[in-house]
Amino acid sequence: MFGKGLIKGLQITWREMLAQKVTVQYPDEQIPLPDRYHGRFELDADKCIACMLCANACPNKVIQIERTRVGKKQYLTKYVMRIEYCMFCGLCVESCNQDALRFSKVFNMNQYFRSRVRLTLADRPAPAEEPAEEAGSEQEAKKKAPAPKKPAGAGSEAAAGKS
Amino acid sequence: MAIQTQTYFLNLGPQHPSTHGVFRVILELDGEVVVRAIPVPGYLHRGVEKLAEARTYTQVIPYTDRLDYLANMLMNWGYVEAVEKLMGIEVPERAQYIRVIVGELSRIASHLMAIGSYAGDIGGLTGFLYTFRDRERILDLFEMLTGSRMTVSYFRIGGVADDLPEGFIPLLQKFLADLPGLCDEYDGLITGNEIFQARTKFVGVIPPEKAINYSLSGPNLRGSGVNFDLRKNRPYGIYDRFDFEVPLGKNGDCFDRFVCRMKEMRQSARIIQQALDGLPEGPIQAKVPKVIKPPVGEAYTEIESSKGIFGCYVVSDGSNKPYRVHFRRPSFINLGCLAELCVGWKIADVIAILGSLDIVLGEVDC
Amino acid sequence: MGENIFLNIASWIRGLLDSIGVPLLASDIIMMIVKASAIIVFISLNVIWLVLMERKISAYIQCRIGPNRVGPKGTLQTVADVIKLMTKEFLIPRSADKVIYLLAPLVVFAPPTLAFAVVPWGDGMAAIDMGIGVFYLIAVTSLSTIIFWMGAWGSGNKYSLVGGMRVVAQMVSYELPLVLALLGVIMITGTLNMSEIVEAQKNVWFIFTQPLAFLIYFIAGVSEANRTPFDLVEAESEIIAGPYTEYSGMGYAMFMLTEYASVLVISIMCTIMFLGGWLAPFGWTFLPSWFWFFLKVYVMIFLFMWIRWTYPRIRVDQLMGFGWKVLVPLSLANIFVTGIGMYVYRSIGW
Repeated sequence: MFGKGLIKGLQITWREMLAQKVTVQYPDEQIPLPDRYHGRFELDADKCIACMLCANACPNKVIQIERTRVGKKQYLTKYVMRIEYCMFCGLCVESCNQDALRFSKVFNMNQYFRSRVRLTLADRPAPAEEPAEEAGSEQEAKKKAPAPKKPAGAGSEAAAGKS
Repeated sequence: MAIQTQTYFLNLGPQHPSTHGVFRVILELDGEVVVRAIPVPGYLHRGVEKLAEARTYTQVIPYTDRLDYLANMLMNWGYVEAVEKLMGIEVPERAQYIRVIVGELSRIASHLMAIGSYAGDIGGLTGFLYTFRDRERILDLFEMLTGSRMTVSYFRIGGVADDLPEGFIPLLQKFLADLPGLCDEYDGLITGNEIFQARTKFVGVIPPEKAINYSLSGPNLRGSGVNFDLRKNRPYGIYDRFDFEVPLGKNGDCFDRFVCRMKEMRQSARIIQQALDGLPEGPIQAKVPKVIKPPVGEAYTEIESSKGIFGCYVVSDGSNKPYRVHFRRPSFINLGCLAELCVGWKIADVIAILGSLDIVLGEVDC
Repeated sequence: MGENIFLNIASWIRGLLDSIGVPLLASDIIMMIVKASAIIVFISLNVIWLVLMERKISAYIQCRIGPNRVGPKGTLQTVADVIKLMTKEFLIPRSADKVIYLLAPLVVFAPPTLAFAVVPWGDGMAAIDMGIGVFYLIAVTSLSTIIFWMGAWGSGNKYSLVGGMRVVAQMVSYELPLVLALLGVIMITGTLNMSEIVEAQKNVWFIFTQPLAFLIYFIAGVSEANRTPFDLVEAESEIIAGPYTEYSGMGYAMFMLTEYASVLVISIMCTIMFLGGWLAPFGWTFLPSWFWFFLKVYVMIFLFMWIRWTYPRIRVDQLMGFGWKVLVPLSLANIFVTGIGMYVYRSIGW
């Protein structure tokens, strides 16, 4: 019969009108985020061995790493993520063998200025217990600078900062 | 005899509420009747195929999410399938099942969006909200599984990124249990509505021969009554193990295409249920070298995406980056018949026909 | 309780004017101004409330909560929106016909406002108890066609033009069944005075004796008020916003508020002609007559909104076909049946 569908539609909307609402009043209440949520990045700088795996895994070359050699090990001095280019695909976190780079549940990364979007996860001076060693490493870093994928400018910047 | 009046051009889009993104159609109108329609795609072109040439094989995966962002898992799948064929990788059982589960979930999400936005195009915005509400549950599942709601990047060459988390299967079971009821609700609100039927039945009819000649695929082809579904006709992955039907339309009009999607959701739910029942234990990732360097050669694979046949063509020159990647995007090819379909219909029907083809601009413009 | 509250206020003002020795003509004029401003305030308040009500109902139907931040439970949302729209720039497109374009939002509020003059809000509460009230109301409300067309033409936009063409076609063709549906009621009552029509429903409301006329009137009314499923004029998903496409700021707000005012007019007409106006059902006269009137009007408005958020939109040719091929013949048939019925009743001396 013509009109049956029309009545049925009205019934459905009437039922939904009285049903429980599904929206969440955001700032007051928040939906719990799952553990795997791709939020802002977190870096445990002490665990990081500056192996560059994350920087190489990134499709958009978001991660910029500066490192120096302290003793026999690579030492992370600066870890910057250019979040404005990040796709939050998670390939960097997946590539990290040391469990240093992780996702947090912070999703509020808005900034008023583009320049502030950039995320600096670690910015620390290299430990300077052995000056001779450091000087050597500095040269090495300079030499190495073009070799690792990213920081051609960054290496010289680090050197400038130290001198 | 009708009075002859001057025709005029109406620029529909790229900023228009119901061109499903930044799509433009230049309509030549005689009153409200379309004399000629000129589709102008390309406003969302990002050059994904070119970008892929500067990325390693794994790094291309996040870009495929951005093709058909409504059926993101299936886009992942299409690309990964091609690379696996190129390298001859055998995907572990569990990963295959997980792929089917998330792929079909993605199909349901895409169809929910399609029918919801179609209801919105016809003018009933409430249907749009209902399907969105339920699509949200799929996105929640994806978020739980992959950490992202839409840009999942979940597939990896030789498997999937992560195993199913704890609590995923009960939530999924609950969704599957609810889905038939939800579909009934949409049927009551949208499909059964006489006004909706008046707007869509016998509008934009594509006869089967024309559908084949235009190389349509997916629900647009099946709406015309052509029984062709890659999952049945040329099973990839493990689709030959599942029992499901391929819903077909009769008239090939907007209504049939819509109903096809409606029925396909129920079939997808059936497939997911079977996959869940048969989900084996085991690894989720095949033994793949750390640096993926396929042998020199080329591979082309096709999968049945929610919009139609999604093909991926990968050429390798032996390095760790693809020499060339090409995507056969079903939305783009389905759009080919729009210009012919619109002629003779009214402005409102142009929206109805465009909506029934279910395009996603991310995929059309690639 | 409160039955005569408005009448008392009116007579109190008049008494006050008399006591300070204002001549009769001047006090008449002052009374008219008071009534007119009362009507305008009433419409504005109602429209502001209706916008909120629409948003709340649509939200509830769509599993949302709707506006709930501005004021207690979001009640001041529309006020905030109107203030926002007032402070926005009023853009004039380069291709616009400036005079017509600017004039349309100024005069668009006039027809619904004029219509309220003859509405009997309660027992003896019409601002002007006009003998040809129904006729006047129909005549005045159909004026809005021209104003929409002015806005559409003045915008110099093709979407507006298409919307404007639709306005004219739709309103003109749905005016006919609208009037013909009312004719059945008028035949029974034999008067065009609204108060008398309400009085004639003392025994039985006309919705029961004229159900078909009510249905036709309701459908045509939905179309007159440009609401889904007949909101082709705005047709958001097809022609953006029809005649209002180019309007911004207060110009747009005027059109939007008018839409709600016309919903109010149609609902009031339904109430008066078919739902017994201010008459209390089941003899429940313990509540004042104006309360019953508003209750019925708001039930009708709720029906409008409920339908709007359930149904999709009809196509323009189907709309015309439905109007001319279904509603007009049906309303003519209704008049015919009513006439026969009246003749039969009269001949059996009822």
